[in-house]
Amino acid sequence: MNEHVKSAALAERKVSAKMSDCVEIEFRAVTKLYGALAAVKDLSLSVRRGEFLTILGPSGSGKTTALMLLAGFVAPTSGDIVISGRSVASVPSYRRDQGIVFQSYALFPHLSVRRNLEFPLEMRGVKAANRANQVGRMLDRVHLADYADRMPSQLSGGQQQRVALARALIADPPFLLLDEPLGALDRKLREQMQIEIKSMHREFGKTTICVTHDQEEALSLSDRIVVMRAGRIEQTDTPEALYDRPATRFVATFLGEANLFEHSEFELRTDLDQPPNTVAIIRPERVRIAAPTAPTCPDQHLRQAVSGTVEDMIYAGPLRRYQVRVGRSTVVVREHVASGQKIFYPGEAVRLDWLRSDLRIVAE
Amino acid sequence: MLQKLTRAPFGLTLPSFTLLLMVFGVPITSLLFMSLNAPDWSFVNYQRFLSQSANIYVLLQTIEISIGATAICLVIGYPTAYLIVTAPERQRTVFIVLVLIPWLTSGLVRTYAWTVILGDHGLINNVLVASGLASSPVPLIYNRFAVFVGMVHIMLPMMILPLLSVMYNIDKSLVAAARSMGARPFTAFWRVFLPLSLPGVRSGSLLVFVGCLGFYITPQALGGLRETMLSKLIVNQLLVSANLGATAATAFVLLAVTAVVLSIFGLDLSGSRERVRGAVGTKRRSWLSAQGAMGRWFNELGTSWRASRWQRQLYRAAAQVRWVEFAGAGFMTVVMVYLLVPGLIVIIMSFSAGDFIEFPPSAFSLRWYVAFFEDSTWTTSLSNSVEVAIDVALLATATGTLAAYGLGRMSPQSRSILTMMILMPITFPVVIVGVAAYYGLFHLHLIGTKTGLVLAHSIGANAYVVVIVAATLANFDRRLEQAAMSMRAGPLRTFWRVTLPLIRPGILGGAVFAFIASFDEAVVTSMISGYSIRTLPLRMLENVTQQIDPSIAAVGSLLTLLPVLWLFVLYVLYWRSRGKPQRAHAQAEA
Repeated sequence: MNEHVKSAALAERKVSAKMSDCVEIEFRAVTKLYGALAAVKDLSLSVRRGEFLTILGPSGSGKTTALMLLAGFVAPTSGDIVISGRSVASVPSYRRDQGIVFQSYALFPHLSVRRNLEFPLEMRGVKAANRANQVGRMLDRVHLADYADRMPSQLSGGQQQRVALARALIADPPFLLLDEPLGALDRKLREQMQIEIKSMHREFGKTTICVTHDQEEALSLSDRIVVMRAGRIEQTDTPEALYDRPATRFVATFLGEANLFEHSEFELRTDLDQPPNTVAIIRPERVRIAAPTAPTCPDQHLRQAVSGTVEDMIYAGPLRRYQVRVGRSTVVVREHVASGQKIFYPGEAVRLDWLRSDLRIVAE
Repeated sequence: MLQKLTRAPFGLTLPSFTLLLMVFGVPITSLLFMSLNAPDWSFVNYQRFLSQSANIYVLLQTIEISIGATAICLVIGYPTAYLIVTAPERQRTVFIVLVLIPWLTSGLVRTYAWTVILGDHGLINNVLVASGLASSPVPLIYNRFAVFVGMVHIMLPMMILPLLSVMYNIDKSLVAAARSMGARPFTAFWRVFLPLSLPGVRSGSLLVFVGCLGFYITPQALGGLRETMLSKLIVNQLLVSANLGATAATAFVLLAVTAVVLSIFGLDLSGSRERVRGAVGTKRRSWLSAQGAMGRWFNELGTSWRASRWQRQLYRAAAQVRWVEFAGAGFMTVVMVYLLVPGLIVIIMSFSAGDFIEFPPSAFSLRWYVAFFEDSTWTTSLSNSVEVAIDVALLATATGTLAAYGLGRMSPQSRSILTMMILMPITFPVVIVGVAAYYGLFHLHLIGTKTGLVLAHSIGANAYVVVIVAATLANFDRRLEQAAMSMRAGPLRTFWRVTLPLIRPGILGGAVFAFIASFDEAVVTSMISGYSIRTLPLRMLENVTQQIDPSIAAVGSLLTLLPVLWLFVLYVLYWRSRGKPQRAHAQAEA
């Protein structure tokens, strides 16, 4: 979609990030133990000013602990956290300047929308007149001006989410933490909110750290993604790079779908030098499906072909998903639906091919 | 026809309401008429009551003592509940059990324990005199102080438990959110936690206040002659005078006080917390907003100071505040000692080898237990109590379970009205329930019979069963029944095979509560036993003030240990059956 825009913006940021003073938040070898259990192990990470960074991982990967550490709700067992050049490891949450959107929003149920938004301003000693001003402006910005005197329970999920976002932004903190910001919304609203968050980020330019287990959320929102697993960082990169060049099998399968070819699974003349303890992967949308008799393309010498039998075909709107039996393994193929396309039904013999350059070798 | 009736939700509540109407509803209505001098209709009974300054004095004193006890309970109970909720999981469970134990222990025994502790030759005075701190016994008993000590001791769990249930459900991330926005710990508590815990404060205070209004044994045993409560007056009138109209008028004055308090603060026992809160909220918005405006004005005064502090303290590290933890631990220790030590003293004393009550005992023996079991008047009363309690448990569990099941399938409106009616026997001051039951059973010629006792106890026990089973049903997934029915199980078979096994812990829990409620009952019992049936608490009541026969300590010890045993049974029923999957779930989450 807007991948070009994204990567352009990213390139711009990368240039500016060369200057070290642009590092806003830094984890320095942070470890957090709960009893003997390490929720976060030796975590080192720096977040640049204005960046949208997502910490992505399954439950138990330590991503929530990382957020709690950053928010000041728990103190690290060892290591240090530095925000704008100041060590904050033992600074309690209420003495940090931050905005947090909580997982279930944590809107105060006994306060109206207006009073909810006023709260962080009040705590910072903003005078009543100024508060009213700022709240009014922020409510206009999130299109909730008519709802100022409603209670949170009288709002829809999407409206609550916008109030939570507004409340986190209103005191103009230097950075924003989002904890599974879209987890509670249904699919349609999620897409709307993704756009909303994105545009808020563009408009306010806040350094944003988002914690989620939802890869789609991570891919669409972030400048950079940190994939965590069992308290450690698995890989850090831009969404495109992560998707395109995953470093490990875990990243490859956690982020999107991947066909994994074990070393000896079937005759795979990869040309690539595949060291032991690695797997070759290819994304389903990089695999082309054709009838065995179809004429080959001119670039066929760059391609690798195998033949198989269609096991299953699922039609999913813009996509068609095939499951093709090749030897002893199953290859998933995702094809964009286009007019005049040949559709293959279960039982049909097909030829699959892909560019050799699309194969990736990743660590097991 | 019958099948249709039992299938309908209203039909299921029928047994409960038959019981309720027979023992409570009809008699209290006719008492109301009688107090109004029907069929002549006049206020003569009320005029007579109000014209006596002694009555007014007792009425005001009753309200005064009840308010005082409620306030003390709140001041002690709120921090206790807060500390319990914020304690680590394992400690929390221990504390809840420690609060539940005295709650399940007979109030009579606890009152007795205080007479032993506070008496002129009691524990404290013995220590004071022996150590030379006081030359003669300090008057600790037979005054207002002792009344408060005893009443608060009995009512404190009633304050803590509703507070706990509300506080437990406050989303912890709200306080975290407040802190992340710059609220200091106390501010986060004051602005977020406290307002959200107010429903618990309200229900706890109401329960305690109404409970206090109905008290008469504790003030009688611990207070002087001046500390008479209205309920004492009612019991005296009932047992001494033949004028039921006058007694009824006194009872309705007490009920009116209760009704006024309940209507001001709103009764909320039906479990429909959200809706009631919403209704109350709209009614009193103006009052609240006036109060809020004032609070905001004060708040505004500190603005510039807060602004400068925010600048000054931003990113400043904070030292761990240790003394807060120590203060909390100290407070909890004092509260737990207060709650538990009286019971422990009774238990220890009961093993005394001496001829008189003494603490600590110079030697230990089982002689008073032997004396207890050899004295046929004690053993008869014990078997009376057990017999009645078992019958009550059986009857109330049957009617209460059916009613709870029926209530669960009604529209919310009829459910809340009917639930309120079913809960009347435990929301009204107990002495009023006693008067009504007395009158109802008198007409059924059941005064002084076991059947009468069982019926009178069952109306309250029924209410407990409804509350507990309804709570269990609320967690029961109705779709499981639909699933069973989709597999061709009829309604009866569905109930038997799916619903019943899943709500069994609630039913058994209800049965246990019904048993305890009946076994410990002294007030209603004293009014309707007609001196012919002696239950254990009744026998004990006769001896409480005497303090001479140490076998009373043995009885007290039995009455104290029995609920602990029951608590263990409950623990096995509830936590074993539910805790495990939940714990596994929690681990998966973490």
